[in-house]
Amino acid sequence: MPSQELRRILAESGAPGAGARPAASHGRRDEAEIQEAHVVEGGRFEVYPVGPPEACPEAVAFLDGAQQHEVLTYTGAVPLVSATVAAAVRERHGRDLALAGAQRRHLVVGRAEALDGLPRIPVDVERVEISEDEPFHPIRDLDTAVAMIDRARRELEVRVGTAFRKRSNAWLIVDGSLAISPAWAADPRMLSVSKSHATLPFGGDELRRYLQLPGGHRSSVYQPDTSRLAPVYAWGLRLWPWQGRDLLFGLVRVEAAPTPETLVRVDELSRWLLAERAPISSADARWDRLLYGIHSVEQYLRAAHLDR
Amino acid sequence: MSAPLAPIGRVFATEQRPSTPHQFLFWTARRTPVGIGAIVRVEAEGRTVFAVVTEGFAWSDLARPIDAVLAADGDPAGGLEPTNRAEMRAYVGAVLRQEPEDPLQPVPLGPVHLATDADVAHALRMDAYTSGDAATGLPVGLYAAGGVEAPVSLDADFLLGPEAAHLNITGVSGLATKTSAVTFLLSSIFQTFPTHKGTVAGLCFNVKGPDLCFLDQPGELQAEDRRIYERLGLTPSPFHPVRYYAPYKADGVNLNTLRTNEALAATTEPLVWGLREVLDYAEVLLNRDDIDAKADAFIDFLADRVVGKEFVDQSLRTAPFRVATFADLEEFFRALFDFVELMGKGGEVWRTHHVATIRKVRNRLGNISTRSKGLVTDDGEVNDLPWGAFADRGMYVVDVAGLDPLAQDLVFARIVSKLREHLERRDLGVDHVAVFVDELNKYAPADGPDTYVRRMLLDLSERGRYLGLVLFAAQQFRSQVHRRVVGNAGTAVYGRMDGDELAAPAYGTLSPATKAKLAALPKGELMIRHPHFTQPIFVRFPRPPVLQGRDGVERFPPAGEVPFPQAVARRLRALDPALAASMVVDLVADRMEDDVRRALHATERARPADTLPYFKACLGRTVPREVRGGRRTVPGVATRDDPYA
Repeated sequence: MPSQELRRILAESGAPGAGARPAASHGRRDEAEIQEAHVVEGGRFEVYPVGPPEACPEAVAFLDGAQQHEVLTYTGAVPLVSATVAAAVRERHGRDLALAGAQRRHLVVGRAEALDGLPRIPVDVERVEISEDEPFHPIRDLDTAVAMIDRARRELEVRVGTAFRKRSNAWLIVDGSLAISPAWAADPRMLSVSKSHATLPFGGDELRRYLQLPGGHRSSVYQPDTSRLAPVYAWGLRLWPWQGRDLLFGLVRVEAAPTPETLVRVDELSRWLLAERAPISSADARWDRLLYGIHSVEQYLRAAHLDR
Repeated sequence: MSAPLAPIGRVFATEQRPSTPHQFLFWTARRTPVGIGAIVRVEAEGRTVFAVVTEGFAWSDLARPIDAVLAADGDPAGGLEPTNRAEMRAYVGAVLRQEPEDPLQPVPLGPVHLATDADVAHALRMDAYTSGDAATGLPVGLYAAGGVEAPVSLDADFLLGPEAAHLNITGVSGLATKTSAVTFLLSSIFQTFPTHKGTVAGLCFNVKGPDLCFLDQPGELQAEDRRIYERLGLTPSPFHPVRYYAPYKADGVNLNTLRTNEALAATTEPLVWGLREVLDYAEVLLNRDDIDAKADAFIDFLADRVVGKEFVDQSLRTAPFRVATFADLEEFFRALFDFVELMGKGGEVWRTHHVATIRKVRNRLGNISTRSKGLVTDDGEVNDLPWGAFADRGMYVVDVAGLDPLAQDLVFARIVSKLREHLERRDLGVDHVAVFVDELNKYAPADGPDTYVRRMLLDLSERGRYLGLVLFAAQQFRSQVHRRVVGNAGTAVYGRMDGDELAAPAYGTLSPATKAKLAALPKGELMIRHPHFTQPIFVRFPRPPVLQGRDGVERFPPAGEVPFPQAVARRLRALDPALAASMVVDLVADRMEDDVRRALHATERARPADTLPYFKACLGRTVPREVRGGRRTVPGVATRDDPYA
C-alpha cells in the first residue's frame, strides 16, 4: 500500500501521524430518499413470480469495485487522505471464475496546502485536490474526500467494464447501478444488482408491496427518475424469503437496458439471478443480497489490491 | 542443477501455521500434478529447500455447512450451482534437505517447483554415493510423481554394512509385494554391488509355498517392467548360480519341497543333518522348561565327551563308545540305563548327573529325530550348505516350507549361526551375506517366549553389520516384531498396509495422508525409509526377473510322491538324466530301504561321473536269502498200550 510509503515520507518530514480510519472507509455513502419511479410494465405496480432458478446458459462475467482510504495526517487542521480504488471483472469458464481484467489507482486526496506539505508523492500515487471553493471544515473535507474517492472508483469500474466489453460479448453483471454510465445503461447484455435500498422507487402502498415481495418474486419493471444519470429499466427481486427476517432481507434492485426486450425477458433474467444465489456468499454479512460472482470479485480485490 | 520449470505452488505461512525448518505449507492451483509423495523444491533468495509432500488440504469459502444445504434447497440432487466455490489447495512439505544446511532456518516464502531428476538425487543425498569411483548406490526403484521420474538408490554402506545394515519390509499378504520387492532388490544388489566393497551372496529361507522356489528361472516381464529396469540401469535376468536345499520327507527319499519337477532336480539338493549338527542347537528344539541347568550340563557333557569321540567307561561296557549318530546315542543311553538299573539303590547318579536328568535328556533328544524326520537322520549321513565355498553373487535357498515349526527353528538357528561363525573367521567364501527371512513376527515376536531364535535374531540385528551378515526380513505386521530387531534395520520398506496396523503407535510419525496412501498402495509401489532420506519416499519397482512362485508351480509342476523305488530312481536321474528308471527300480527291489537310502545319500554327496555303478557299489552285494530246511523234530513215542492211539 502506498499509505505506508506516504506515512514514511511524512514521518521523515516531521509531520504528525493520524490513525483514524472512518467507519465507512470500505464502503460508499448513500442518502436515504424516495425517488418516485414510473412503472413501464403493465401500467401499474404488480408483483410477479419469476419461476424456478435457472442458470444463464451463456457466458457470464461479474464486475465490482472496491475502495479503501485512511487519514494520513493533518496539516494544521487540514486532513490528508490516502486511498486505493480498484475494479475487476471475473468471467465464468465452465463453472470456474477467472480474472478477466483489473485495474487499481492510488490516490492522495486533500486541499492544496496539505498536498503541498508532502515532500514528494510516489510516482504511482495520483494527487487529487479538494477545491478551495469549498469552505473549509475538517469533517466536511473528509466527506468530500470520500465522495471523490467514490467517484474515482466508479470511473475505474466503468473503465474496466468498457475494456472487458471490447473483447467479450459475455453477459456482464455489475454490482451497483448501470445508470452511472450511458454506455452501460444502453448495453443489452449487462445487468446490475444493487444491494442498497437507500433510494426507493415508490411510496405509499406500492412501497409496502415492493418491500414485501415474496421470495422468488419481482416487482413490475419501472424506470427510475434518472435525470442526473443514464436511463435504465429496473425492478425489485426477492432472492430469499424475508419472512421472519428483515424487510430488506434478500431484496435487490436489478437494472437493465431500457429496451422492449428487457420487458420481454424480465422473468428469464430474474431466474438467472435467482440461480446466482448459490453458492451462498456466506463469508459476507450481506450474503442474502450478494451474488457469489460479485462476492468472488470482492474477494479478489481485497486479496490482491486492498489491505483487506 | 534444475531445469527452469514454472512454479507449481507458493509457500505461505501464517501465525497459526508457520513455516519451520522441517515443515512448511504451500498452495497450488486446483489442477496440479502435486500429490502425496511428490518431491518439490522451494527457491528463495539465498536458500533452496527440498521437501516431500506428506499431507494435503482443501478449503472453500463456505463459512457454515448449513449454507451449502440452503443453497441447494436441501436437495443434494438439485441442480448444480452455476459457479464453483473458490477453493484452496494446500500441501505440507516435509523438508528433505536445505541448502545451505547451516544455519538451519525456517523454510522461506518462495515459489515451489516440482523436483527434477537432479533435484531428487540431491534431495535424497544420493549425489554423495551414486557417482564417482567409489560409488555405492544400489538402485531400489523409480521415484515417479507429477510426470517426473527419477531412479532412487540405496547406499550399500548403509544397507549391507558397515555404517548401518539390514532391511525390514512390511505389508499385507497376498499382493506379492514383500517377496517380489526383496527378490528385485537382491537382483539389483547382485548387479550393482561395487567390487571395491567385496563379494556378496544371498541366502533365502523359503518358509511358505513356492515363493522362492524358482529364483533361477526367468519370469514373464511386461514392457513397463523392462522400461523400469532400463531406467535403473539393470538387466532383468534370473539369479545365477542358485543352489536349492530341502530336507527329505519322512521316507528319506522324496524331497520335502515344491521344487521337485525333474527339470529342476539337478539344482535341488537334500538338506540332511546328523547328531553332531543338531546337538549344538539342542536348545532350539527344547523349550526353556526342558533345559534347566542340570540338563544343560548333561547335554554339554555329551557334546564335549561323548558325541564324535571315543568314549570309554568300563562300568558301562568294555568296548569304547563311538557315538556319531542318533542310533549310536541310543545305544549309549541303553548301556547307561542298564548300568544304573544294575546298581539299584545308590545308582541314581552317574558321573554327578541324576538319572532323571539323563532320562529327560534322552527322551528329548530321541524325539528330535522323530520330529525332524527327513532333516535329521539316525544314520549320520550329512548334506549341508557349502560352508567355506559360498560363491560371489550366489543365491542359496533353503526350503523349510514343509517342515515342522520347531525343525524350521533348528534350520534357521543353525544356518545363521554357521554364517556368523564363518564370517567372523572370514572363511565363508564371500564378504557379505544377505539373509532373507519371511514371517519375522513368528521368529522374533514383540511378545512371547524368549527363544533361542529370537535372541539370535536380536544379536544378528545388533551386531551383524560388522560381520557383513545382513538380515532382510519381512512380515505382515511390523508392530508385532521385536522393537530392537526392526529398530536396527537401517532400511525400512513398506508395501500396502493394513489399516489396523497403521493405527499402531509405531506409525505415529506418518501423516494421515501418507497412511491413507499406504493403505491403498498399488502393487509394485513401496515406501522406503533409508538413513540418507530424512523422510519416507515412495518408489515404483518392476516385477522381479524371476519366475513367481505360483507361475513356477504351473510351469514346473511338482512331481507327485511316488513309491520308494521310483523315488530313488528319480533322485538318481537328477544326477544322471540318461539313467533308466526301470534299472534302478529293479536294482533296489528286495533291498532293505535303509541300505538303499544310505547308498542314495552317499551317491548324492559324491555326485560321481558314473552314477549307477557308484550307487551299486554303495549298495553292496545282494545277500541271497537263505531258505532254511524244515525243522527237524523228534518223532513221538508210539506205545501199543496207549489207550488213545
